[in-house]
Amino acid sequence: MNAFSIRAFIPPIARRALPLRATRRYAVQSPGAPTIEIFSQQHKWMQKERAARDVEASRSVDYLRDEVASRLCERLLDINRQFPHVLDLGANACNIAHQLTLPSEDSPENGPRGKRIGQLTAADSSETLLYRDAHLPFNNEINIKREVLPTSEILPYEANTFDAVLSSLSMHWINDLPSVLAQANNILKPDAPFIGVMMGGDSLYELRTSLQLAELDRRGGVATHTSPLADVRDVGGLLQKAGFNLLTVDVDDIVVDFPDTFALMKDLQAMGESNAVVSREKGAIQRDVLLAAEGIYRELHGNEDGSLPATFRLIYMIGWKHSPTQAKPLERGTGMFSIKDYLEKDGKKGDGEGESK
Amino acid sequence: MPGRTRPIDKFATAVAKCSAETSAYGKCILVDYNNVSKDKCVTEFMRLKDCYLATAKKR
Repeated sequence: MNAFSIRAFIPPIARRALPLRATRRYAVQSPGAPTIEIFSQQHKWMQKERAARDVEASRSVDYLRDEVASRLCERLLDINRQFPHVLDLGANACNIAHQLTLPSEDSPENGPRGKRIGQLTAADSSETLLYRDAHLPFNNEINIKREVLPTSEILPYEANTFDAVLSSLSMHWINDLPSVLAQANNILKPDAPFIGVMMGGDSLYELRTSLQLAELDRRGGVATHTSPLADVRDVGGLLQKAGFNLLTVDVDDIVVDFPDTFALMKDLQAMGESNAVVSREKGAIQRDVLLAAEGIYRELHGNEDGSLPATFRLIYMIGWKHSPTQAKPLERGTGMFSIKDYLEKDGKKGDGEGESK
Repeated sequence: MPGRTRPIDKFATAVAKCSAETSAYGKCILVDYNNVSKDKCVTEFMRLKDCYLATAKKR
């Protein structure tokens, strides 16, 4: 059943004009387990294009992507080496490129964060979103090349091309995550890092629960309004399966307060992050359900000042491509001192960092 | 989109004027939110909807 569609290779403009039925599907089995299509890539692409066309609204909701890209860039700074060629996979509006031109918050005197990066290739499937900020001044401060991908699930690059692959807030829409991670591993040079961040776990659980309760009461059943997301537990396994070494996975919660549920949903829409699950209910949510969800959200999760919190749980992952010369973790039991003593002595120093804002 | 209010904005302003009914409905659901069935809080909801319809019509 796992058909391989040539639709992916048709450029987006032609694809828009092409009805779905005209695409011929060949019965070619891709290697590995068959993938189930959970998210509609076509629909996601359309949402992003549509959202980016309203430039003003699209820029006004960049707060989340900018903040996350900034935290991702800080992680890149921790690696002390030169990166002649870096790929930004699923670049959205090139938020990472923008953040790289800004100095680090911890050491503003050291100049822009991206000074050790030679060339940045920003790749995304949505052309409008990718080129939204192409005329802004920050583009002159970094050597950036924008590339429109025909599909976000196939990376058209040679093996051993990049010195680092970054990915910020786009991998939660990928159906075949193991395959994309394996491809990312393939296009990396040996001993090069993959640094990614994706929505995961309990993101937007407030909205999810409110809509579920509202639909239960109003319609007697539940429809899919929020995506299934990868959990922290899964990510380590995924990276390992894709062939990465020396994994680091950590979680960060960003809580944003909104005046009401409608503002939250409008912002999500302007980000191009509306529901794109294949089995979603087509058409808008019923007004009755929206009305009910507003009441439940307010009572169940609302802050005392009347605002509604929305939690975004971000999973940061770092994995290194295998190389024989790479530093390896030491054997078990070869430690020279007790980590317990060390942590008890210094434990209070580093607490409270990377918490929710 | 200048010069035009989106329907969702109109909806939001109308709903915002019914805060008492909104919270009454929310509280009713929350009494036992592990056990919600269809029309569990239908009276509170209809009160909320009537309020919304009235405020939406007023302008």
